[in-house]
Amino acid sequence: MIPAPFDYYAPNSLAEALTLLQQHGDDAKILAGGHSLLPAMKLRLASPAILIDINKISELRGIKVNGTVEIGALTTWSAIEQDAALAKACPVMAEAVSLIGDIQVRNRGTIGGSLAHADPAADMPAVVLALDAHIHVEGPNGPRTIAATDFFTDMLSTALEPGEIITSITFNSLGPGEGAAYAKFPHPASRYAIVGAAAYVKMENGQVTACRVAITGAGPKAERQPAVEQALIGTDGNADAIAAAAAHAGEGMDMLGDIHASEEYRRAMCKVYTKRALLKAVERAR
Amino acid sequence: MTQQPPHRYLGKARKSVDGIEKVTGRARYAGDVYLPGMLHGKLALSMYAHARIVRIDTAAAKAIPGVVAVLTAHDLPVRQHQPSSRQTTTLARDVVRYRGEPVALVLATHPAAAEDAVAALQIDYEPLPAVVTVEAALDPAAPVIWPQGAPRADADLTAAHAAVARGEEQNGHTVSNVHERKRFSRGDAHTALAAADVVVAGTYRTSIVHQGYLEPHAVVADVDPIRKQITLYTSTQGQFGVRDEVARLLGLRPSQVTVVPMTVGGGFGAKYGILEPLAAAAAMAVGRPVRIVLDRSEDFLTTTPSPASTITLKLGATREGILTALVAEIVIDNGVYPFTLGGIMSTLLGGYYRCPNVQIDVVEVLTHKPQAGAYRAPGAPQVTFALESSIDELAHRLGLDPLELRMRNAATTGDPMGNNDPWPSMGLTKVLEVAAAHPLWRNRTPGSGVGMAIGGWPCGMSPAAAVCRVDTDGIVRVHVGSVDISGVNSSFVLVAAEILGVPPEQVEIVAGDTRSGPFAGPSGGSQITYSVTGAVAATAREARRQLLEIAADMLEARIDDLDIREGEVLVRGVPGRSLPIGEVARRAQEQPGGPGPIVGEGRAAPAENAPGFVAHIVQVAVDQETGRVQPLRYVAIQDVGFPLNPLMVEGQIHGGAVQGIGWALHEALRYDERGELLTASLMDYTLPRAADVPSIEAVLVTNPAPNGPFGARGVGEPPITAGAAAIANAIRDATGARIYELPMRDEIVFQAIRQVSKEECL
Repeated sequence: MIPAPFDYYAPNSLAEALTLLQQHGDDAKILAGGHSLLPAMKLRLASPAILIDINKISELRGIKVNGTVEIGALTTWSAIEQDAALAKACPVMAEAVSLIGDIQVRNRGTIGGSLAHADPAADMPAVVLALDAHIHVEGPNGPRTIAATDFFTDMLSTALEPGEIITSITFNSLGPGEGAAYAKFPHPASRYAIVGAAAYVKMENGQVTACRVAITGAGPKAERQPAVEQALIGTDGNADAIAAAAAHAGEGMDMLGDIHASEEYRRAMCKVYTKRALLKAVERAR
Repeated sequence: MTQQPPHRYLGKARKSVDGIEKVTGRARYAGDVYLPGMLHGKLALSMYAHARIVRIDTAAAKAIPGVVAVLTAHDLPVRQHQPSSRQTTTLARDVVRYRGEPVALVLATHPAAAEDAVAALQIDYEPLPAVVTVEAALDPAAPVIWPQGAPRADADLTAAHAAVARGEEQNGHTVSNVHERKRFSRGDAHTALAAADVVVAGTYRTSIVHQGYLEPHAVVADVDPIRKQITLYTSTQGQFGVRDEVARLLGLRPSQVTVVPMTVGGGFGAKYGILEPLAAAAAMAVGRPVRIVLDRSEDFLTTTPSPASTITLKLGATREGILTALVAEIVIDNGVYPFTLGGIMSTLLGGYYRCPNVQIDVVEVLTHKPQAGAYRAPGAPQVTFALESSIDELAHRLGLDPLELRMRNAATTGDPMGNNDPWPSMGLTKVLEVAAAHPLWRNRTPGSGVGMAIGGWPCGMSPAAAVCRVDTDGIVRVHVGSVDISGVNSSFVLVAAEILGVPPEQVEIVAGDTRSGPFAGPSGGSQITYSVTGAVAATAREARRQLLEIAADMLEARIDDLDIREGEVLVRGVPGRSLPIGEVARRAQEQPGGPGPIVGEGRAAPAENAPGFVAHIVQVAVDQETGRVQPLRYVAIQDVGFPLNPLMVEGQIHGGAVQGIGWALHEALRYDERGELLTASLMDYTLPRAADVPSIEAVLVTNPAPNGPFGARGVGEPPITAGAAAIANAIRDATGARIYELPMRDEIVFQAIRQVSKEECL
């Protein structure tokens, strides 16, 4: 439970961090909250030669709410959970974040770190997909923006290029007629998601006019659920319509199977938790 | 019979004597011991379930700064080279037989260097076929794990837990992976089963469960190379047994080994000496103190969890609900070395209920996994799950109240246990009466998710001594050789206070090491309260006698007119004529030619054990869509004989109930087909958490043990026995689904619920 030796840098600015990252390439890992990286290092599953600790870069931290929401990549879960303006603008954030790890984890873990790590059982990937968020990054070729739907490419893999660092996440505040929810079936030991379903719906004149559902935990990466979304749009969002739509959850997805939950069971739980998330989202949208 | 005066301190709840040290982090555990020149040991564990060690290249590891030695089996001054049990093996010699078997020990001046060196070790293995499951082990074509015959388990330190168990040896002499077959029988079970009005049958499977203590195994060994003496600071449940085993393995006299039992952060049957022989041998080899503290994963990989079992059980009964036949086969997965729980499992399985015709066959099997070990009421949760689920099913079949069915068949004092020995004084019917009257049972409605089960444990006993000294400031010190893993010291304090007439705060319990402490048996088998309390009481009586005799002179009164209250010797009926006991002690020990210091000795050697029975009632909520089970209410009723300190007794009941919930819903060590452990961390091995556990109502039934101190019975083990079955029965009530497998994890319950709804659709 002691990591292999490594060198440690703590740059004061994003530019400095990017330079270090370019200098050291694959030997270096970015350290944000460290809640995925450090356990892997202690178990010697990861032995990076260099750690670049970005915690001194205050420009990466903070939440701005102004019609849209911008969350700095270094913002901790607990800061997100406790932000009053964010709770008003997009309550599903706090709902989902409150289910991440425990208080100690939430005090250290960051939204950018979690998204960059892209753990298949992390909660936030499903939420940013359902919110249609954008992920802003900075790299050797300057800044760019990646849509959440393009961000998660495979297990533990993202659209981040070598040398890039996530700087912030943006999405729209929820307005009247919009509702979102996150429902999670936690692993009994790790409390990661066996299945986590994030749902967003827009209701106009008693009809569902927009819907985004994403599932994490069940497959190698978090994924949108187009079949569910299509089935719900145009209905009045009653319980039967939701159940019928949720029955499409997991369609076309590769399911993970392990000693805690088989592929078949995960598939069944996708439907159950999609239904539960949609029921809440529709209720909030009304 | 004369009326006993009411107790002043005994039987009244009083907080733990060492609670403040534990909650403030000041308690000293084995891992807190740092000695000058001490080296940090780190184990290299086998990556294979079965392999030949071809070569261990230590050069790169030894080159790491701070590394002092890399030890393999050939470097250790150990006498016994033929492994016979986990406790008696130090490092693997030539062959590894389970994933996690220690292969080498690195010693370094810093733990990080030791860990770097383990990573740098080059160990070449030649993998051999591994027999991982019981099914594979029983295949006649399977490789035999011990072709020369299974090692004998007679030197087993965990024997402390084993109650009396006889059975007929069924061993043939062919070499196989079955190390023992036994049959326990009375009457003619097969004929009775065929003639029964109603038969229920089921096959119940339980998993390998880790004891789940907070503090992983930890030991610091100090060595005196000149006198050839070893001192071990360790987390153990029994210092004397560990001492004897270490001495035997190292070829020393027991008195050359001193075992200092440190505060134990949980043991539950697992801490009878696993690392101590290795640490002692390593310290001898290098002539410096050696510290080995396992991390959580290592502890999961290389210690001795409770064995998995498969229990096939058939019960036969009359239409009126009288049991007539019990036929069972118990197959136990003991891992790599023999471990024999079959006797106690049969003793309980054939003993909870009066049944004239019983046949229980035990098959003890070896596999390439860590050796099985004792865990709180070893074997009882497994058989209780099978039996109490079957009884519940039988009640459904008969249309009888499950508790009423139990009442009609409950064993009582003198009825045969499964090994046909008679039960000593026991109170199963008394706990059933209390359960029947409890509102959670009485007011339940069908389908509300309420279930119940009973369970019991014979409880152990062993001789013990204690010494009592009175200091000049009035502090009374009671020296014992037992380890407090359960709050027993917080009861001893009350025993001494009661007898001596001093406030409990004036009493200190001094737990001795093997050199300074009077002998006591190991803290297992729920025996310490039952066995050592008698010695504490006897020594306190002797100290009291000395105090009164000496004070009689000082106070110029007859002994019969003296009493001790609140730490003062007083003359009854004469206000103001009194002396603090410290003053008596001072004068006694300072006066030349006087009576001398006040020191009492006491001994106890109880001759008959006192079983403890429980009835647990649980209410659960089952998420019908996911199968996830949440216990909502938990009532734990237990015959405790007499609670010396009810707070400690309730603590034991709460802890046992929580661990029972772990057995029921959460815990399993699971291995893949190559014998790799898939649950080697708390991210994968599920322990119940605060949110998984409802508030637990402990109900103490006081059915005095005839030979117990003040009527007390052992209380530690019984509360873990019934939880799994009670929860299974509650799930049955909530869903109609009968679960035959532990733990009853979400997916298992989900599938069972689906099966029920499929059957209902047909």
